[in-house]
Amino acid sequence: MTDTHIALAHGNGGRLMRELIDEVFARCLDSPSLDTRVDAAPVPGPADDCELCVSTDGFTVQPLEYPGGDIGSLAVHGTVNDLAVSGATPTVLTVNAFVEEGLEIALLERLVHSMGQAARSAGVAIVAGDTKVLRRGEGGGVYFATTGLGVRARASDLGPHRIEAGDVLLISGPVGDHGAAVMLAREQFGLRGDVRSDAASVLGLTQALLDLDGLRFMRDPTRGGLATVVHEITATSRHGARLRETDIPVREPVSSVCEMLGYDPYYLACEGRVLAVLSPADADVALERWHAIPGGEQARKIGVTTTESPRVILETAIGGERYLEELEDDPLPRIC
Amino acid sequence: MKRDSGELALSYLERIRSLELRSRTKVMNVCGGHERTITQAGLRNVLPDGVELIPGPGCPVCICPEEDIYHAIQIARQPRVILAAFGDMLRVPVNAPKREPRSLEQAKAAGADVRPIASPLEAKRLATESPDRDVVFFAAGFETTMAPVAAMLAEGVPANLWLLLSGRLTWPAVAMLLESGRPGFDALIAPGHVATVMGPEEWEFVSRDHALPTAIAGFEPASLLAATYAVLRQLVDGECRLVNCYPQAVRNGGNARARQILTRCFDIVAADWRGIGTIPASGFALNDHFAAHDARARESWMTDPAARKRAGEMPPGCDCARVVLGRIYPNECQLYGRACTPRHPIGPCMVSDEGACRVWWAGGIRESVTTERPAAKAV
Repeated sequence: MTDTHIALAHGNGGRLMRELIDEVFARCLDSPSLDTRVDAAPVPGPADDCELCVSTDGFTVQPLEYPGGDIGSLAVHGTVNDLAVSGATPTVLTVNAFVEEGLEIALLERLVHSMGQAARSAGVAIVAGDTKVLRRGEGGGVYFATTGLGVRARASDLGPHRIEAGDVLLISGPVGDHGAAVMLAREQFGLRGDVRSDAASVLGLTQALLDLDGLRFMRDPTRGGLATVVHEITATSRHGARLRETDIPVREPVSSVCEMLGYDPYYLACEGRVLAVLSPADADVALERWHAIPGGEQARKIGVTTTESPRVILETAIGGERYLEELEDDPLPRIC
Repeated sequence: MKRDSGELALSYLERIRSLELRSRTKVMNVCGGHERTITQAGLRNVLPDGVELIPGPGCPVCICPEEDIYHAIQIARQPRVILAAFGDMLRVPVNAPKREPRSLEQAKAAGADVRPIASPLEAKRLATESPDRDVVFFAAGFETTMAPVAAMLAEGVPANLWLLLSGRLTWPAVAMLLESGRPGFDALIAPGHVATVMGPEEWEFVSRDHALPTAIAGFEPASLLAATYAVLRQLVDGECRLVNCYPQAVRNGGNARARQILTRCFDIVAADWRGIGTIPASGFALNDHFAAHDARARESWMTDPAARKRAGEMPPGCDCARVVLGRIYPNECQLYGRACTPRHPIGPCMVSDEGACRVWWAGGIRESVTTERPAAKAV
């Protein structure tokens, strides 16, 4: 790493964060079974035909509550979704709560209640937890960390290594809702918009595709948004990607907020969407299945992988082109 | 982009393509938001070869004098001070001795209480919440930023809130370019947000006194293409006037209340522009009524003139000044993408999201072109 101190940008999901993970955590932990590129790691399973997956995530979003969600449900959805896009069915979760001195207990109750509800509706049991209280000023009210265990078929082989040129990229719904909702909820902009977080479990969406042979890879575009995930796909698979701007669903209020604040919706976080890469033969079936289930009604094909150099090209509505690059620094507040 | 405006954009593009332009034509924009739309929508790729879109002085961070940033750093290092500034300003480097912080970000890392804010009201809130501290709001920006700053002042502010004001008017920089004898452009796209606040009339001088077609544009590709068509059409027809292509927001007279509040709080004074020099009647200064909040007037916060002058020297090789003036494209600077990247910026144009270099870099333009134009094809 060339940097000498941690900056906020080291948490933005872009290049700096990748460097931090590779060059500090992966290097210093030196664990052969740690793969920093996957959302959930397999561990030996209880039966011959399935394996266990483990995933863990921390949540520091500010504000703690925002239209469409809160840090409690987010802490469940975040880990459930990481397991889901890995092809696993989440079964149990553990929760660590870091609560700041002075936090109103009624607020904490609301958040934990919301957490419990999210877990029940995702069909996952919270089986263990730990609570620490931080001194005033040492935390943003409350932070959560959740670890989840899931089960998946041993035959499942999803990952960017399976992506071929000509594969089709699908998104399960409009992008940028969560990022825009959280930004608006921070009072500093003095704006109010009709924007709600899309935070939800994506388990139904991922399970709907698991039996398709042409399913190559799935990811939930959280920090860094759609652009960052597609960038990751090109960097790992060494294929190019072409996205069509007119095919990428962005809700009208989200694009208005972005226009006003100068943000790019393709870099704003989603918390309830899936980006899936499929063979052309299975892409239509996948799209039909998504259209038929709640949360997938607005799913679209948004682009293809190509034999071009591994960069992401956005074909704009007027027939222009631009590259979608990795995020450089962090213009955005904490959103997950 | 919205679907219907996508179709509108394509129809303007067709109209532009059907024009028979007699010579190479340079159209300047003076708004970072315009440049961002142009780059992100890939307008340069689809316009006819003879049409160049040139980013001009449209980024408030880029033209903020280094002396003011140096002053802000020095104030931030004073005891009991909280310095609040728009986030973009934190990373702009100035020429200071190696042992001293060279940006507000470095001052912050070295222990100064520097707070990035997104709205003037946050500065006021900081002052209200910290009555035992001096909160200094380093307010740099164009008319669109100065209007909310003035509104905050007019509503009344706590005694411990100070302003280090570095506000600028947009049109005088364009006037200076036009009066320089070699403006370097054939038509102007005027800034939509500025015209919304100040009224379209401010831009009439360009066509009236300098015979250049002008159009005010909004921030959708369709609006920018409409404005581009409006000025190119005039060049073909031998006409010259101001066209408002952003009528949804820009009304005659602008926002009367905002202009009134600006007049009530600020005087218009000669002001320095980074890399450009002093432009008469181009800056906002607190008027006598708000003198008690003027950080520049507080004696214990004044800085050594020699150090200020040194801070104002452009870094060797940095071509931000010519980028800001539209004399060269961002990637024609010899530092672009080599010594100067968003991660390690040398000049301000690579720092701000409104800066032309930063906008081009974010748009994926990686190749530095130090030969001749055109250099603007993104893909």
